[in-house]
Amino acid sequence: MSDIKSILIVEDDKWLAEQYARVLSTAGYKTIVRLNAIDAMHAIDDKLPDAIILDVLLTGSTAFTLLHELQSYSDTGLIPIILCTSLAGDLSINDLGSYGVKQIIDKTTMIPDDLTTALRRILL
Amino acid sequence: MDVVRGKQKKVFNDSLGNNLPSLVAAAHELKSPLALVRQLSLTLEGGDISLSDQKKILRQISLTSERALRLTNDLTRSARLADAMFVMEPINPQQLCEDIVYELAPLFSASDKNMRLKSHKHPLLLVANRDLLRRIIMSFSDNALHYTGSDSAVEIQIKAFNSGKMIRLGVRDYGPALSSDMWRSLKGKLSNSNMPINARPQSSGLGLYIASQFASAMNGNIGVIRHRDGATFYVDLQASKQLSLL
Repeated sequence: MSDIKSILIVEDDKWLAEQYARVLSTAGYKTIVRLNAIDAMHAIDDKLPDAIILDVLLTGSTAFTLLHELQSYSDTGLIPIILCTSLAGDLSINDLGSYGVKQIIDKTTMIPDDLTTALRRILL
Repeated sequence: MDVVRGKQKKVFNDSLGNNLPSLVAAAHELKSPLALVRQLSLTLEGGDISLSDQKKILRQISLTSERALRLTNDLTRSARLADAMFVMEPINPQQLCEDIVYELAPLFSASDKNMRLKSHKHPLLLVANRDLLRRIIMSFSDNALHYTGSDSAVEIQIKAFNSGKMIRLGVRDYGPALSSDMWRSLKGKLSNSNMPINARPQSSGLGLYIASQFASAMNGNIGVIRHRDGATFYVDLQASKQLSLL
């Protein structure tokens, strides 16, 4: 059984998603990129990721639709989620903790290594 | 001197107050490209990436910066619209749109998407200001680029209606369909717009708001058509009578 953790990146800016994938691949993670919530749900149905990096304002359904959907099932409800958003200042981990959100990262101030640091912390 | 400064400050504050929704929207719209440019720059700074990735990242930085600059230029133009004189002239929309497709080709190509122009059978002429019309179509195209699906083409369409008295330039994307709630909200705001229009969730709609101002300055208007697989944002302008005189 492989020890390589798989990370689902849900981000509608393709170039930013590629950037996250580049950073995580370098750190030894397997990455799957999906640009919207519906495609993300299909990817999760195919194979449960070890963690999800999720933007909030997506094209089509927002992250909150996906969070609700994930909480509807016992297995998907356990996937740890990192929100990576420019709306970080408006969101509270206290409110979103019950949706599996473990950390909120501010896109506008983060450094590339913040993603790997957050993943190491939640995948301990 | 203090009185003058006080007056200037009041004028500035009044202006700021009147434009606050646009300023907030502009700040929101610029966050995404700036955040992306910052992430890409930090990656370059960190080193340890292949030469091909370096080239790709540099290209993405310049294209993203250009998109952000287009928005700021449009915002400036919009703010000065009332004070500025601009020429209305007969314009061949086919030629103008061909130029835009050519100009945006590198951006679309770098995003693995295509842009094409659906030609009209007969030559058409409309009356507009070339710069403002160009900015409207560029703004619609930027919007479509973001929302259209991977490997899909964005299409510029030109057609005449109302017995040839009006010309419609539309930019068709093939992205996720607008929900009914979003559609109602968008239609309402498009017909009664003095605020930025929320076109789709993550957009403040500033681009559309500016486009509506540009269209209005040319006695035209903008609108949107909802499709099952995307949307068409369009601008309607008066046809030129010059062709009928030939």
